[in-house]
Amino acid sequence: MSDDGGPAPIIQVTDVVKLYDDGLVRALDGVTMSAARGEFLAVTGPSGCGKSTLLQLIAALDRPTSGSIVVEGRDLREAGNDTYRRTGIGLVFQLHNLLPNLTALQNIEVAMFSNGRSHGEQRARARELLAAVGLGAKEKVTPPRLSGGERQRLAIARALANRPPILLADEPTGSLDSAAVDRVLELFREIREREGLTLLLVTHDAHVASTADRIVYMRDGKIVAAPEADVPAAAR
Amino acid sequence: MPFLALITRNVLTRRVRAGLTGLAVAIAIMTVVALGVLTHSLRRTAISVLQTGSADFTVAQKGVSDVLYSSLDNSQVARIKAEPGVQSIVGVLVAAIKLDSNHPFFLELGIPPDELAPFGVQILKGHPYTATATNEVMLGWRASQDLHKNVGDVINIDGNNFTVVGIYSVGNVFGDSASMLPLTTLQTNERKPGNVTLAFVKVTPGTNIDALRKRIEQANPEIATVRTQSEFGRVDRNLSLISAANVGITIMALIIGAIGVMNTMVMSVFERTREFGVLRAVGWTRARVLTLVMGEALLISFVGAMAGVVLGYLAIKGIQRVPELVGVFQPDYTSAIFARALGIAFGMAFLGALYPAIRAALLVPMEALRHE
Ligand SMILES: Nc1ncnc2c1ncn2[C@@H]1O[C@H](COP(=O)(O)OP(=O)(O)OP(=O)(O)O)[C@@H](O)[C@H]1O
Ligand SMILES: [Mg+2]
Repeated sequence: MSDDGGPAPIIQVTDVVKLYDDGLVRALDGVTMSAARGEFLAVTGPSGCGKSTLLQLIAALDRPTSGSIVVEGRDLREAGNDTYRRTGIGLVFQLHNLLPNLTALQNIEVAMFSNGRSHGEQRARARELLAAVGLGAKEKVTPPRLSGGERQRLAIARALANRPPILLADEPTGSLDSAAVDRVLELFREIREREGLTLLLVTHDAHVASTADRIVYMRDGKIVAAPEADVPAAAR
Repeated sequence: MPFLALITRNVLTRRVRAGLTGLAVAIAIMTVVALGVLTHSLRRTAISVLQTGSADFTVAQKGVSDVLYSSLDNSQVARIKAEPGVQSIVGVLVAAIKLDSNHPFFLELGIPPDELAPFGVQILKGHPYTATATNEVMLGWRASQDLHKNVGDVINIDGNNFTVVGIYSVGNVFGDSASMLPLTTLQTNERKPGNVTLAFVKVTPGTNIDALRKRIEQANPEIATVRTQSEFGRVDRNLSLISAANVGITIMALIIGAIGVMNTMVMSVFERTREFGVLRAVGWTRARVLTLVMGEALLISFVGAMAGVVLGYLAIKGIQRVPELVGVFQPDYTSAIFARALGIAFGMAFLGALYPAIRAALLVPMEALRHE
């Protein structure tokens, strides 16, 4: 699955194993994959195959049991991933994980603490992002009063707050109807055009996956060469 | 968004809980302030007894519950007078009586007229009483104003009529709110012939005062000498007990407040596990998470402490109305007491928030996100 030759990949995952519950669960079973700079990569496969686990390890939210993950030449096993999480990546969770007591604007601003910019600049950036995801009029609204699609767009806006070179998104369209899905996909396309970032999208929706440059298929914690015929149906 | 704004926002989100915690802190701080002012003021009032006059040190009976119960007899005073280095010693009998309901604690100081000047008494009006007069009294200028009695007026003290012959000043509130009369007259009225409460010693210039005090205390194991405020506990056990109780209650208030803060913050951190996971996932450092939790506890404690200081002030106003304390208790608000109250509020927040804050900071982002 890794590209041979050409420029060094921005994300390189090598022989990654992730065990849970003292080895009873093999969430990832020797995964090797990579993403090129600027690429839009979809990771797909049936429920429980390890997609979220892979994304979380790339996001340095947890450590692999074995194997290595190198992002922009930096091995994530070396300590101190706070800065990497803040500025190296943007993360959109499977559940949007917004803070319910903060307004839409503040939800974006909390991601910008200690990024070295003034409060004024942070606020301006947050407004710009809200406008970009079509929530310009909702800056004072808290997440519980936003629709599912609006929440997902707000989560995407937050992930982009510190202009990361990589956006990791876990089922960003999972709970949306087809109009809202199209809206999010359109948003991703715009963002990639404007910011030129690398997009790694986890989804079990074949239509969403088909919009990517390249699709990586997973099954039982491993990367597989060809899609199972029944993947999209079984995942739902 | 400034960090402080986020802290405020988080506290206001759980305003009922924050309010109740703040109230607990406020009550603890109120106790600390009220007791602190009370103890400090009582101590200062009592100390004034020993500092009336211009002595080098004061002699009293050792270990009595209240300095006014101290009793020294003629022979003890004579023995001290014989010590080399003692230039003069003035024995004073102090009696506390109830004048009327507005003046439940009025002091009579029995002192021979020829000792008034060496003792540091200044006559402002009229003249001193004679040594054997049984119906002459001098009033301190504050007492004179307070009782509306001037030179020539008659005043009934404890069933006896006295004529006010002079108004004096000794330069402290306590002495200037009292009365003076001949020592022998007061000894007769109080049925304590030959007895005094305190003796005030002046030394000959060049004497080593501490060495002299040591000699006196070794030769007379039943008496104590007092020179500074901190030594006062040696002759007034009540006051040292009050001070000890004050320290004890302050520590208890600190612990109770800290437990209240801890309870609130532990609950809050537990409920917000997922939130901390999100914050770590968007790049917050452990230190920033720790600071957030600490900051929230500090804000609650600080606001609680402000309310507590106000409540403490009102409590003192209430205590001042207790009839038994009228005239004894002059509230003395020192900045040290308020500084200590703030320090204690800070301590509560720190002790109470330390464990929950560390817990929040040590959460593994992935596990925190999976919570619930
Ligand atoms: N913290 C954990 N403890 C134990 N097992 C876990 C843990 N996290 C994931 N697993 C297990 O690891 C496997 C992979 O989980 P993962 O969440 O990566 O799947 P997924 O492909 O994202 O599925 P879905 O499409 O349903 O989101 C599953 O069998 C899951 O039960
Ligand atoms: Mg998943």
